[in-house]
Amino acid sequence: MRQAIHILEKDIRHLWIEIAVVLAATGLFSLIYTHPDFWLSKAQLPQTVAAFFVSFLLPVSWWVLIVRAVHGESLVGDREFWPTRPYSWKSLLGAKLLFILLFVNLPILAAQAAILQAHGFQPGAEWGSLLWNQVLLTLALFLPVAAIGALTTGIVQFLLIGLVAWAALLLLSLRFSLVASTMAGGTWGPLEWVRWSYTLMLAALAAPAILIWQYAKRRTIAARVIAIAIVIVMGLGAPFSYTQAFAIQQRFSRQPAAGATIRTGWNNGFQWMTRALIRPGRGVDLNVPLQLTGLPDQLDAKPEGLTFSIEAPGGAVLRPASQPSRNVTSTGQLIALRATLPESFYRAVKEQPITIRGEIDLTLYGNRRETKVPIRGGLRAVPGMGLCTATGGPPATYFLSCNAALRPRADKVAIAFEPHPRVIADYATRFPPSYSPFPAELSINPLSSSDAYSTYQGPLDAVTVSSEEPVAFVRAPLLIEGLRLGAYEAVMK
Amino acid sequence: MTSPIHTHELTRRYRHQMALDGLNLQVPEGSIFGLVGPNGAGKTTVIKMLMKLLRPSSGNAEVLGCNIGKLGPAQFARIGYVSENQKLPDWMTVGYFMNYLRPFYPTWDDALAAELIQQFELPHDRKLRHLSHGMQMKAAMAAALAYRPKLIVLDEPFTGLDPLVRDELIEGLLPRTENTTVFISSHDLAEIESFASHIGFLDHGRLQFCEEMSSLAERFREVEVTVGGADRKRAAEWPPTWLNAQQSASVCRFVESRFEEERTMAEVRRVFGDPMQVAVNPMPLRAIFVALAKASRKAAA
Repeated sequence: MRQAIHILEKDIRHLWIEIAVVLAATGLFSLIYTHPDFWLSKAQLPQTVAAFFVSFLLPVSWWVLIVRAVHGESLVGDREFWPTRPYSWKSLLGAKLLFILLFVNLPILAAQAAILQAHGFQPGAEWGSLLWNQVLLTLALFLPVAAIGALTTGIVQFLLIGLVAWAALLLLSLRFSLVASTMAGGTWGPLEWVRWSYTLMLAALAAPAILIWQYAKRRTIAARVIAIAIVIVMGLGAPFSYTQAFAIQQRFSRQPAAGATIRTGWNNGFQWMTRALIRPGRGVDLNVPLQLTGLPDQLDAKPEGLTFSIEAPGGAVLRPASQPSRNVTSTGQLIALRATLPESFYRAVKEQPITIRGEIDLTLYGNRRETKVPIRGGLRAVPGMGLCTATGGPPATYFLSCNAALRPRADKVAIAFEPHPRVIADYATRFPPSYSPFPAELSINPLSSSDAYSTYQGPLDAVTVSSEEPVAFVRAPLLIEGLRLGAYEAVMK
Repeated sequence: MTSPIHTHELTRRYRHQMALDGLNLQVPEGSIFGLVGPNGAGKTTVIKMLMKLLRPSSGNAEVLGCNIGKLGPAQFARIGYVSENQKLPDWMTVGYFMNYLRPFYPTWDDALAAELIQQFELPHDRKLRHLSHGMQMKAAMAAALAYRPKLIVLDEPFTGLDPLVRDELIEGLLPRTENTTVFISSHDLAEIESFASHIGFLDHGRLQFCEEMSSLAERFREVEVTVGGADRKRAAEWPPTWLNAQQSASVCRFVESRFEEERTMAEVRRVFGDPMQVAVNPMPLRAIFVALAKASRKAAA
């Protein structure tokens, strides 16, 4: 430990300029976000500067600092002075990790705590989330950079290899995973955390392994091969499907038995909404309204995905290959199956009584709570939204601004501006909801903000927020029998 | 007597090139061992493997009784290594460099460190990057001697240095080698000759010979034989210990690599009959090295 401290003191003396840059950048980041007035000022320049710092300069200053610290005792090559000195590799690695902890983790942790405090949170109550966020930042942003630093000789080589790794990841993901799935059917929405957790898990395994291997053995070529393999594996994307991700999500149900009685069938009341719209040359768009039965009282259901097959009496079977999340839509209380069928299949089965069989993934919301946030009445804690303030009034727009600490909301929220006949807000959120069971998600900014507004010009007293939390993630069977698609045919002109 | 450096069939290949081919070497304790050879002979490769900077392709070696693969802080605390192409932490001042290294070495001697800095006339507050190459080598040497290492390993320490700095380095080193083994590689033979007790000659990755300086000086002689024109002999008939033999109309010159007066004179008489005159001259190390290198290249060709 004494040797680690000694090396750390040397690094501090050597890298004081880089440390000063990081501290200044972190301080400015903290300053900007602890002063919401500054952020909301009419002048555009401070906002632009702030955005620049958050999105670019702060992480870059971290990375430069980390890499410079690692390169202080370069692990690559045979001309360095330190390998023939009595360095203990554990002390050396410990010194570098301590350095990252002191000058990267602690400053941003302090800045995040200050920002939370400035926005009305009690940082003491958020320590779990703050520390978890530091774990994520370390695994995703700090250790991988240190690992690349351990495989390179200088900042130029680091930048080149970093660029190549980034380009490789991008190209591979274009080909195989994230972007491809986005183009094919959107992201996994609130389940996206499962995919990111997998990537983070790879980083969490690979970066420390490479660091330990390099510091203990200094076998650069082997370590580079491992790093390239990891980048390729990451670029290939998560080796599981949306359906498997939902199965993982189900493990985090607070009331796993809540959805056991739910069944899904054709919505008899809205049969007229069934459509088989022929788009010549581009397939047949199928829209079938669905009805959930057996849903426990006090619970609402939100469809997340749908997998199904269409079976015809003659034995023809179709299993649409699109993303499960694209196969289902919900508008208010109305849920519908949506898919595009090959025209040939449709023409073959359209006059036959087909069976649609499958499973629907549902999030069940419950524990409904209602909170009133008085207009210009200061901060209010709103379940699922964080801390909210309501502002505005004629002629200005009414605003409800909320900040959650360190992670996007998971709750289903309805917002009404009172008391005028329930003006439902034009609801907007900066962060999509996430069903992650973890107390924080990867983010530098500790605030996860969401806003709602109303342009109503009359007097309002308060904003009412109704929130329900996800209590269960269930997979319910879907069965529709005897559906003749031909009866609902329409042709796009 | 134990051997601070001991290698067994130490080999290093770079792709298809053999940099070092089965080196077997024992460096006697307390010796000043000069590893000499032309550029590209494999000297630096040997030293880098001994210092765990390179891994051998095959074979093994021990340094201070420890397998080179397991060299760690305990061994490096007793080794002083200086190389002409070593990257020093050039942002440090000379004073900070010494202060920084001090806690790594239990045997660090502050008084000796101060003495070395004074002797080498090193500017305490100047950054290493602002020093000349010679001054950097002096700083590296001071930082390698200040803890009284049991083994000093020097890789081409005199390359690129002016004669004055070389002398200063040698003057700084030699008085502090008591109870210490010095292993030094160089192609600067004049300096090596002045203080080495043992010599190993490396060429094309192979150790050509390894022996004490005194026996080497005894073994090599430049021989000049004056003969009558009719006694001219073909090279194939010359003994294999005669290197680089050249013959003009009446004079034949060669390097005897295994000189023993009686045996050599007998060989001369066997080859040349009754020569008019035989002149035998001792050789400096540089001349021995050149003769060996020439012979080696001729054999390779």
